[in-house]
Amino acid sequence: MAEPLLKVEAVSKSFGGLKAVNDVSFRMEQKEVLGLIGPNGAGKTTLLRLLTGILKPDSGSVQFKGKELVGRNIWNIVNLGVACTFQNMRPFRRLPIIANVMVSCLSPRSHGKGEWIKKVETKAMDALEFAGISDMALEKASVLSQGDLKRLEVARAIASDPELLLLDEPFGGLSPAETDLMAKSIRRLHKGGRFGRLHSEGPAMIIVEHKLQQLMKIVDRIIVLNFGTLLAEGAPEEIVNNPQVIEAYLGKGGDQ
Amino acid sequence: MELIIFYFKKLFKILRNEVLVLPSRVVVGIFFIVLLGLPLITQDPYIIRIVILTSIFAIFAASWDLLSGFTGQMNFGHALFFGVGAYSSAILNIHFHLSPWGTVPLGAVVAVLAGLIVGIPCLRLKHTYLALTTLAFPLILLGVIIALPDISGGELGMTGLTRITNSLLGNYYLHVVTFLVLAIIMWKITDSNTGIIFHAIREDELAVKASGINTIFYKLLAFCLSGFFAGIAGGLYAHYMRIAGPSTLELSLSFTVVIYAIFGGAATIYGPIAAVFILFPLLEVFRIWPEYRMMLFAAVVLIILLYMPEGLIHWIRDKIEKECPRCKVRNVATRKTCRICTANLD
Repeated sequence: MAEPLLKVEAVSKSFGGLKAVNDVSFRMEQKEVLGLIGPNGAGKTTLLRLLTGILKPDSGSVQFKGKELVGRNIWNIVNLGVACTFQNMRPFRRLPIIANVMVSCLSPRSHGKGEWIKKVETKAMDALEFAGISDMALEKASVLSQGDLKRLEVARAIASDPELLLLDEPFGGLSPAETDLMAKSIRRLHKGGRFGRLHSEGPAMIIVEHKLQQLMKIVDRIIVLNFGTLLAEGAPEEIVNNPQVIEAYLGKGGDQ
Repeated sequence: MELIIFYFKKLFKILRNEVLVLPSRVVVGIFFIVLLGLPLITQDPYIIRIVILTSIFAIFAASWDLLSGFTGQMNFGHALFFGVGAYSSAILNIHFHLSPWGTVPLGAVVAVLAGLIVGIPCLRLKHTYLALTTLAFPLILLGVIIALPDISGGELGMTGLTRITNSLLGNYYLHVVTFLVLAIIMWKITDSNTGIIFHAIREDELAVKASGINTIFYKLLAFCLSGFFAGIAGGLYAHYMRIAGPSTLELSLSFTVVIYAIFGGAATIYGPIAAVFILFPLLEVFRIWPEYRMMLFAAVVLIILLYMPEGLIHWIRDKIEKECPRCKVRNVATRKTCRICTANLD
């Protein structure tokens, strides 16, 4: 059997007495799009943070292409090809938008030898072009609206040329029209190809999301978390009809 | 001959299209010319001396800005690098009889090591804790120096260093040209890829890490670069004043440099330099009223910071130049339309 892209084994993390992520295991194949859903406080964001190294798991192992990620620095993990976006986007507010993306272009993974500032700038511009905010490239990042910040996150993610992209609520706080646009660009990103000077193989993705309707259209497979444990795993149609999942989201049916 | 005319025309074109269009660039040009041409106007030793000391402190203030203004690692003990540069140059010069041409760079290298020593414990700290920790380092070194009078001269300091040159003009041009070259190097660093990462580290360190940048390396790099430039300033100071004393490590020096940088506008490099060139001679002017000298100085700084919290230079620049809302190119404030994209400026 071929090496899976990502292998998460028995990962646990607790904050004090609260078990945020409890013994979660799953695998991901190349180019797969995985949805990660669950009620509030189920440990979805914590799980993503464990994968990117922002938090260290108490036990368990995370392997990416056969390499252990636990114990590595955040930037090492990113340079292996795991990029993440933040739920509450963290732009460099007082820097121009293009500089926000240039920082991602400067990571050892995507920064070629002898690329001086002009070259990096054009690369960052292409990433912004992809995300659709290139017209605001020279504005300060603090002027961006919620939707544009999400797009900035996408631009940053593509600039670091990941093989596995972790998106934390890409549709959070977006209007229906913006949600459609975002879904479109996520699908385009997954398809891969050449975006100006940037090249993408089409990364595998883990998407944490609450807007299930949109999510179902994008993902191949869904994982449901509840109280930090893996509740269900399967194709989108199975998950929607899974009684356990419905119970976790809506509660038990009352007496009719 | 035609080639010379061609390049002369090209130079003239650049001058007309790039430099003369913006008042700030004109001011920088005038500043360079005045600084290099000053001995033609006056050779008064007093004025020359003031300008030399101003240049040395301008290097020092800019190096603080490189560390604290850009990466946001508040360093309240920047005199450490200055003192380390001064003392190591002095020790090499007096005990090992090295020429000043060797001691100043070696002193700067020792200051880089000092930058590493300060930087490594400071990697874990932020904000006020970082500021307090950095404050402690020069005090520790001061204690060491007073405890070892045989090597360091104790409280009296080390006197009798050799000057780099003995001629007035030689000294002037040496210091001023060193200052201009180092200032341009620092400005180029902040304008490069590294500078963008420094900026980003100040804004949000975790987000920089998540972009795949090794922030530990870049923070230490900032400490080392800053230490290098401050060390050169310290070495030059020691050789020019012919003394390396405990005053180079004092708290007041650490805080003066912070005042200079904030006064001029942090995270710009040219801001602190301009501030030193305004404030340092101003302190000399205030010698007319020796009793009120420091009070007047404090009043000037206070008033400027009260009304121009971004720094004096930012404030002036915003008054005389306007940013085009469309293409973000700077224009003279008197223009109605942008000089590049002809968008309306109002």
